[in-house]
Amino acid sequence: MRITIPVAKVLAALLAEPDEQHYGLDLMRLTGLPSGTLYPVLHRLQGAGWLASDWEAIDPATAGRPARRYYRLTAEGVAQARRTLAELRAAIPDGRPSWGVTEPTGAPAW
Amino acid sequence: MLTRRIAELLLGLAARRWPADVRDDLRREWAAELHVLAENGRRTTMVGFAASLAVSRAGAPLLDRRLMHQRARRTAAALLLAPLACAAIVVVSALAMAQVYNWLSMLVSWSSAVQLPLWSMLILGFAVLLAKYTARSARHTALHGPLRIALGVVLPVGVAALGLMSVINGSVLGSFVPGLLLWSAGLTLALWAAASLAARGRVGVAWSVGLVGALVAADLAVILFVIQTIPGPGTVAADAMTADSVDRISAPLWLFACWTDWNFGLPRPTSWEIFLITDRLLLEPMFYLACMPYALAYTIRAARSAPAVPVALAPTPV
Repeated sequence: MRITIPVAKVLAALLAEPDEQHYGLDLMRLTGLPSGTLYPVLHRLQGAGWLASDWEAIDPATAGRPARRYYRLTAEGVAQARRTLAELRAAIPDGRPSWGVTEPTGAPAW
Repeated sequence: MLTRRIAELLLGLAARRWPADVRDDLRREWAAELHVLAENGRRTTMVGFAASLAVSRAGAPLLDRRLMHQRARRTAAALLLAPLACAAIVVVSALAMAQVYNWLSMLVSWSSAVQLPLWSMLILGFAVLLAKYTARSARHTALHGPLRIALGVVLPVGVAALGLMSVINGSVLGSFVPGLLLWSAGLTLALWAAASLAARGRVGVAWSVGLVGALVAADLAVILFVIQTIPGPGTVAADAMTADSVDRISAPLWLFACWTDWNFGLPRPTSWEIFLITDRLLLEPMFYLACMPYALAYTIRAARSAPAVPVALAPTPV
């Protein structure tokens, strides 16, 4: 898996709340990535087995809208993302990654 | 309403660029997101969402373009430079052979007999070194598929051979052309077969088939040239110089006679016939000899190499 800044941003966003499920628009908002960058990244992460996706369990007729697709890190994805982001953070001299979603304490999400 | 139609149109365009197996799911997913944006009245975001997908690169198959370009450059360099190196090997070996011959001629009487074998041995030695070197770069070739590999090797070799022969003969359309074309075609078939076998893991058989095929191709090219340019015994008029003919019965040995200046103890070709053949045809068989190890080694190694690694699977920093 080649780690680019968009990939790191997506991993950091997902790792901030590893048990949560996110829609594409959520992830665009969290990462600041445009859709044209985000979806290829999601596709790659799924291909690598780091990410799983499911369709929202709603009845479109009742809900009045189509079911959305949501994403979550797999167990392997959580482990790999933690390790990858830690390695990236260690590789940056001043310890201030430009991609990370930060927790309220200001500490990096991972 | 119009903006939604535009967004849907853009998403339709974007989806077409993705692999067929994920296309329907993506259309469904994006339509759902579009619906949410439309419901919230976020028209600009909606169009931006669709436009970004429409103009960006699709998600798969994603290739590491930098790696691919690097591979392509290295492959092109190897395939274009190796034939020039083969030509250089022929020339340098000839110069080296001439030096040794001059030295030997002052010491022994049989120095003439070792000229061609010495030239061939020098060519073969340099050619094997070249083959070892180029086979390394073949591990990261950008060529995929046995036929592409074979053509990628043979086409530059053929062009280099044509250039070399044209310079030596002073004409692009000399009598060497049919033989050269036959050799190129035969070598392509031999390399194609070798690459197909190597790709299936049958490396030993690939080498055997490739070597025999390349030798047959070179032999046929030499036979064609000799038949074209030197008359056979039956075709020479009775009052003509019948001695200046070459009996076709020894045709399969002509290539090896060019390399060794020897008839392997057989009645044909005679020493005079070998002289006639090598007087007309020497550069071509030597060039074939210089190219064969490289062509075989590169082809077989390239056929065994893995295809270009998609980014999604690349073993880069994890």
